[in-house]
Amino acid sequence: MSSVVTEPLTENTGTGEQERLPVLLRLLLSNEFGLLALIVVAAAIFATALPGFTSPFSLFTLSRQIGIDTMIGLAMMAVIVSGGLDLSVGAIGASSAMAFGYFAERLGLPLAAAIPFTLALGALLGGINGAVVVRSGVHSFIITLASMSIFFGVMIYLTKAQAFNGLPADVTAFGRMKVLGSVSALLVVTLAVCGGLTVLYRLTRLGREILAAGANPRAAELSGVPVGRTVIICHMLTGALAALAGLMLTARTGAAVPSMAGHLGQDWLLPAFLAPVLGGTLLTGGRVSVIGTLLGATFVTVITSGLLLMRVSEFWVQAFLGFMLLAAVLIDRARHTILKARGMV
Amino acid sequence: MDKRFGMQLLDNDWAGPALISLAAILVISALQPSFLTPFNILVLLSAIAVNMVIALGQLVIVGVGQMNLALGSLGGLVGVCFVGAIEVLGVPTPLAVLMGLSIGVLAGMANGYVIARTGISAFIITLASLQIFKGINLGITKAQPFYGVPDVVKQFGNTAVIGPIPWLIAPMLIAALGLWYLFRRLRIGRYILSMGGNRQAAELSGIDTVGTVIWAHAISGLLAAAAGMMLVARLQIGQPTIGDDWLISSFAAPVIGGAALSGGHVSVAGTFFGVVIIAIITQALVLFSIDPFVVQIVLGSLILWAVGINRFREWRFAKMATAGA
Repeated sequence: MSSVVTEPLTENTGTGEQERLPVLLRLLLSNEFGLLALIVVAAAIFATALPGFTSPFSLFTLSRQIGIDTMIGLAMMAVIVSGGLDLSVGAIGASSAMAFGYFAERLGLPLAAAIPFTLALGALLGGINGAVVVRSGVHSFIITLASMSIFFGVMIYLTKAQAFNGLPADVTAFGRMKVLGSVSALLVVTLAVCGGLTVLYRLTRLGREILAAGANPRAAELSGVPVGRTVIICHMLTGALAALAGLMLTARTGAAVPSMAGHLGQDWLLPAFLAPVLGGTLLTGGRVSVIGTLLGATFVTVITSGLLLMRVSEFWVQAFLGFMLLAAVLIDRARHTILKARGMV
Repeated sequence: MDKRFGMQLLDNDWAGPALISLAAILVISALQPSFLTPFNILVLLSAIAVNMVIALGQLVIVGVGQMNLALGSLGGLVGVCFVGAIEVLGVPTPLAVLMGLSIGVLAGMANGYVIARTGISAFIITLASLQIFKGINLGITKAQPFYGVPDVVKQFGNTAVIGPIPWLIAPMLIAALGLWYLFRRLRIGRYILSMGGNRQAAELSGIDTVGTVIWAHAISGLLAAAAGMMLVARLQIGQPTIGDDWLISSFAAPVIGGAALSGGHVSVAGTFFGVVIIAIITQALVLFSIDPFVVQIVLGSLILWAVGINRFREWRFAKMATAGA
């Protein structure tokens, strides 16, 4: 595999390598600031050009989509930080959501029990991925390629590809709930998770161990970090967040649908990588940006809905998102080169 | 080497998968006599032909130590462009085939160029191009199939040369022998494998790594295009969903065939038997009327199993090497 630049770039690694740069300059050069500026510009253009863009309904669907796409992005980010990846996020998300349908509709469990069970199942599936990756020493790409096929196959086999349409009314109601005027309650869930993850990576010992193990597994191992256990925890976190994203999609649709993430869950792959990569999470591991992932998903959602409002066919929007991923990694690459040439990294 | 000939044979990448294929054929035909009827063999060989070309498209990239997620979406794009050119633009069929293959090569070269020049991982670049090719495909077709497949193409995809041997085997043979020759005899094949084996060493010994990566992706694109058009011939329709389900099987067959996913080590014959195993299992599930979705579970398990076997062989070779030294 070709290598991606491995140096941590900004303050988020928590290692303080950027101390010699002035705070303001660091902020202006960060991915997050660039994204924020892009979002503001894009939103301003769409808001003036497209009257429907700022309607309460549009703002509601926008915030709902940002909530879901960010959660999918966070799920992938949680494993990218370990230097691996998880192709099975979509399969885990769909499988967990279907399990939720089974718990809540068929078994009639209260939501207070069904939701934790669902998240635990997601974590379990992720944990299986992580354990196999660690025990076999094979790259997570091939392990999760296999498990995406297995998880999805088992789910379709068990559910006979039938949706759960009779979920408790609370689920649909939550999907429609608005706070502060027209903001979707789903976005609030996502913001809460963003807060939790920020605390995890910045303030806890486990978070520091995850970052250290992702940046340099050998060095981390030598300094006493249990790298194998850390990798498994990353995969479990990915599984739980994917399950949560599946639940949020279920709340939006009002039903648990087996095809919610496409064939084998492949439809989640692009949003899963687009948001973290736009947000500056390094694919080689060791650096995360929770806020960057949130902003990345926001940018993608704003652009997508703007284009759709301009009556661009959704198919061409798909192609456009591919170009956007390409542009994001190329710009990131160029930024590294420039910063390096000036001796700023 | 004082080992017995039989043991040497078993050390080949393809020996294990070949034995399993044979055993599977024996067991299934004993349980279900209709398995070996000429018609069923024709169907089986057609599936093997298409899936082998798909697997070879991934094998080249695995050889250079990368991965190509865009294989399926490029195959689908070429498939609909091929039929679209004939139906809408009235392009003669041979010219349309040529055009389809050129699209594949050019798109593959574009992938290879971006990967090699930027050094960004092939995973992320081909994820982006997967989305781009799929978007263009759906933008052209509006998710509706093209129906204007010429009769000659339909016949090519659904008739036999002799007995139960379908015409589709011809492009498969060309692709397989071509790749085998490429890896064994041609300089570019050696470059691909040495780059996959040890990129830095390859670079230091003066191999043009950028050119090698572009070549590998161009070949992969060519094979994806060929497989896309073969599927059009077999399905008799320009389906925009062609290629959606190539991802898992394109990796499964090379891995079952003993390819190292870290690159540098591939086996065309092993991949062939990997494809055969997958085809037999898929057919068997249909014959015994088992839920077709079980195929997904079996495919995933096969990958894990093959990865385990490959790890074990690596470990054994490493032990033999240290014992010999």
